Amino acid sequence: MPSGAWKFLASVRLAIALLILIIILAIIGTLIPQEQSPDFYRKHLPGLSALILFLNLDHLYRSPLFLSPVFLFMLNLIFCSLQQFPAKFRRLRNRDKTIPDTGSNLLEPRDRNRLERWLEEDRLQLVTIFKKLRYRVRLVRTDDEKIFLARKGLPGLFGPELVHLGLIIIIAGGLISAIFSQRISIALMEGQAEKIPGKNFSLRLDSFTTEYYPDGSVKDWKSLVSVLENGQVRLQKTIEVNHPLKYDRLNFFQMSYGQDWDSAVLELEIRLPEGQVRTSSLKTGETISLEEGTRIRTLSFIPDFQLDSSGQAYSRSAEAVNPAALVEIVQGNHQVFLGWVFYRQPENNRFQRTSQSGLKVNLKSFTAPTFSVLEASSDPGANLVWVGSGLLLLGLLASFYLPYKEVRLGHRAGNPPWLLVYARKQGEAFRREVYNILGLKSKNT
Amino acid sequence: MNEFSLLLLAFIIYLLAMVTGFISLLRPVARMRKISYYLGLGGFVLHSLSLTMRTVQSGRAPFTTMYESVSFLAWSCVLAVIIFERKFRLEKTGPYLWLVVVALMALTSSPALPRDITPLVPALQSYWLWLHVSVTLLGEAFLAVAFVASLLYILTPEKKFSQPDHEARRQKLDQVAYRAVAIGFPLFTMGALVFGMIWASKAWGRYWGWDPKEVWSLITWLFYALYLHTRLVYGWKGKKSALIAVLGFLAALFTFFGVNYLLSGLHSYG
Ligand code: HEM
Repeated sequence: MPSGAWKFLASVRLAIALLILIIILAIIGTLIPQEQSPDFYRKHLPGLSALILFLNLDHLYRSPLFLSPVFLFMLNLIFCSLQQFPAKFRRLRNRDKTIPDTGSNLLEPRDRNRLERWLEEDRLQLVTIFKKLRYRVRLVRTDDEKIFLARKGLPGLFGPELVHLGLIIIIAGGLISAIFSQRISIALMEGQAEKIPGKNFSLRLDSFTTEYYPDGSVKDWKSLVSVLENGQVRLQKTIEVNHPLKYDRLNFFQMSYGQDWDSAVLELEIRLPEGQVRTSSLKTGETISLEEGTRIRTLSFIPDFQLDSSGQAYSRSAEAVNPAALVEIVQGNHQVFLGWVFYRQPENNRFQRTSQSGLKVNLKSFTAPTFSVLEASSDPGANLVWVGSGLLLLGLLASFYLPYKEVRLGHRAGNPPWLLVYARKQGEAFRREVYNILGLKSKNT
Repeated sequence: MNEFSLLLLAFIIYLLAMVTGFISLLRPVARMRKISYYLGLGGFVLHSLSLTMRTVQSGRAPFTTMYESVSFLAWSCVLAVIIFERKFRLEKTGPYLWLVVVALMALTSSPALPRDITPLVPALQSYWLWLHVSVTLLGEAFLAVAFVASLLYILTPEKKFSQPDHEARRQKLDQVAYRAVAIGFPLFTMGALVFGMIWASKAWGRYWGWDPKEVWSLITWLFYALYLHTRLVYGWKGKKSALIAVLGFLAALFTFFGVNYLLSGLHSYG
């Protein structure tokens, strides 16, 4: 690779440009509603819809416009780390030598003498001082060279590298998730089992319960499920919100629930004109005979009865808010009753037609089988994200709370002594501190 | 005494801490600063009691409604102020931070935020709620310190003649901002992003879904990444640095308040 390209990819300048670009794009994505149909944009943002659809701003976070800078950012992190790491590693390995890149040999004569003394007669005192300050200290003396090395906060030296490595892994995990993660939604009635596509096991819903608070709001949904392999129960567990089931690299979540109103069983109370009262249970769509020639049939059941603008009945929600059943009674070939009967308002006969005054139908109760909607997800990128997050946090801890500091002092026979003071951050303050400790005068180098 | 009266009492004491703080700025008497500090400490104790009572009464984390969250954020800010005052001496930043605390307390005790204990929807019943929200708000409190110091930096004119320590004070503001980010950034990363992802993966089956609240946390975080890198690698200091810290905190505020009210998403209970 040409060194210009390498430099560009490893540069902090690029990182800063990309950070700004990603911030701007991310903000745009929160201002434009995401993942709607093209018609939604044409209707609500007529002036911008063409641009939105052309640039894929309707699904920005999975569009090339967003993913390319993210990908470039990951490359930037990789190259930046590749560039930084060797220098730091050399600093770590190199215990008995000068480090070539930095240094301050511009000491005044008085300070040079002072340094020579620190390495000779005062050397034990030097070691003690730095040990007291919790440095790791090393003193090497050969015939023609003396070296003193004190340092602390080694993890802090590699803090940024850990952070960046963690981020690389997180982004990689995110890309893998984006490409390979799968979700399927499974609706199960109590007692029903279903094979999981692509796996050799089935999931059976044994029971589904909703728990309520005293004020009637939902506290929890619980699905007791069994995992079946070859017809045998392998595992039984309750899935609830925040407590998924993990099995065979799939996670099963409680997503929602519902009632199968098409299979509702209704209890109807029929008052005949003669004063007799009969109660019958029947399913939606079912016809039963009451007595000679009289048959009753429920045509449909609506849990949340509403009329639309054209007078058509429909269900406003899937909840039993305003339940109503359409009931027909036939005598011989004669329809004697047709109309909606309401659960909560038995007197409401606005939507009823009858040819026998005194004939009344009342919806006494209803039940419908409950189903639980579980979602199975497999996400091969997730574990990378967790590993990356761990490294990221460790790296931040090291970067900010274990600052790396290093003091090197050396003297080779026949040469002036040299002093290297290095801190990853606040370097100038640290240099002043060390100069103070060592009793040196030179303030500005 | 109930939880709310304790909160009001803490509010009043914080107000006094702010007033004495400003007085100490005008007439730099050491005693005034001390009084301000101890008032703040006293308010903090009452406020902690209030939060504890609320937690015991509701039997759940004290940050599931806006009233509770704002109160907890104010409490975290007070904690940050106390820590910074002890470790670095906030000087000019101090009273202005009390102003932020007082504003938050005014908001939380205003009738606009209902104080009822409403039942928790199923998704919020998790111990990750504790970790996620408390660590995030604690982080944001330190970012608030950086915000105030940076704002003061920007608003302090560059040169005033015959004041040799003027420049030193501006330097101090810059330093306080950086140190606050150095504490707030790791906390925010851990609380908002990492714990947030873990909880989302447990509750919704995915660790990241580009929900507006998630995206705005990410934006906030990227601003501080920008702050650190321009500073560490380019040596940006002062104005430019301060501006990024201010923008970052505005993004955090928007994540906290704006997303709930202005954008829609899964997080809109709040
Ligand atoms: C959102 C993404 C990033 C985050 C959160 C991040 C985080 C950090 C942190 C926490 C530090 C230590 C800061 C300090 O000690 O004050 C750091 C240092 C650094 N970062 Fe990043 N970084 C990111 C992206 C990048 C990228 C893409 C580059 C590539 C050019 C980069 C280059 C550097 C360099 C050169 C340092 C200084 C290293 C040193 O002092 O030894 N960072 N980063």
